[in-house]
Amino acid sequence: MRSLTIVLLAGLVFAPGIAAKDPEHIYKTVEAKHFTRVEGVELSPAFTDYLYAELRSELGKTKMFAQVIGEGEAVEDADAADSVVIEGVITEYKKGNRAADAIIGFGAGARSLKIDVNLTRRNDHQSMGTINVHTKVSPRWNESVMAKFAAQQIAHEVKKGLKDKAKS
Amino acid sequence: MNFRKILSVCGWLAALSVSAGANAAADEPKPTPENTIHIQLAAPVPPQKFAKPPKFFISEVIDRSGNPQPMLVLKDRGGVFLDRQPTQITKETLEESLKAADLVAADAASADLVLQIYVFHFGLAHGSGLDFFGKVEFSVMVKNLKTEESQRIQAAGTSIANGAVRKKNLQKNVQANIEGALEDAVRNLLRGTQLREAVAALLKNSAGPPAAPPGGEMAFVYANGDEGKRLKSKVGER
Repeated sequence: MRSLTIVLLAGLVFAPGIAAKDPEHIYKTVEAKHFTRVEGVELSPAFTDYLYAELRSELGKTKMFAQVIGEGEAVEDADAADSVVIEGVITEYKKGNRAADAIIGFGAGARSLKIDVNLTRRNDHQSMGTINVHTKVSPRWNESVMAKFAAQQIAHEVKKGLKDKAKS
Repeated sequence: MNFRKILSVCGWLAALSVSAGANAAADEPKPTPENTIHIQLAAPVPPQKFAKPPKFFISEVIDRSGNPQPMLVLKDRGGVFLDRQPTQITKETLEESLKAADLVAADAASADLVLQIYVFHFGLAHGSGLDFFGKVEFSVMVKNLKTEESQRIQAAGTSIANGAVRKKNLQKNVQANIEGALEDAVRNLLRGTQLREAVAALLKNSAGPPAAPPGGEMAFVYANGDEGKRLKSKVGER
């Protein structure tokens, strides 16, 4: 009787946590490509590399994908239907203004970055959605920190978009 | 009197600059067993499946990073050093992975394709400062000695690891980070579509009768001493 009570109590404690857990590995692989940039976007070449690395790291943390593969890696034919490719274009970058940030604050003079991200299915290149990300950070922070925030935002939006798609 | 005062100030300034120089020299990290890490993958990376598995031979690995201290991966906190040259680590890792899949030839003459690797980056790169950004980047010249045709392919691996406060954790994180980036780069090469296409293109024309003994540089280049200087200059020209 006592052991039954313990089991029941344990079930009551752990069951909500298990139910609230995200569905893991909905897709087999995801390939993030290096983002391109439109003319006039003045960012260092290292920024694209760092954004790519951060994005792969953040995509791994979403637990939506069994494997985050590198750019240009081959995928088994059987897995291609459950694989996603992420491509993006950096459409706008504003350096920000340190003086405005220090004097006015409240987001004035912030450094900003706009990225358009496309999700496609690997086997038939069918679009799975488009995401527009707008990241704002303090102009006192360097480009890499901005890349980190942008990657977090993209991964969050990708997760949200793909989960909605899986539900519908 | 004034001149004496100026002289004493100059003396103090000279003493300060000498002590600053001595401190700077003392801050230069030196490799010790405590701050040296060993980079090795836990398991070899399985390469992709080829329709007709070729035999590869890694003729040489050349450092093209331009880094004067390739074994020093982190200068801060007393420094973190690699125990071997990045070129040697890259070669050993690639050979282990190819050997595990039985894709290694004993020598260049018996190989279907000879690989010549140029390492452009090995170690940590500039990140956000909140974490470690590991990056391994190399390009590979895949050459068919029978047809003298070659193709250049690129591979890159990245890894992001958490920063650390304690020196022991810092070293552990740096090691894990570089191993992650190296594994990623090797996987990017061995499982990449570029290698698949290069193998298909280079072996397509070599099905005929065996050609004359391979001429050119690659056939006589072995991974020791001052190998491949001629090839280096050729690639430099490109």
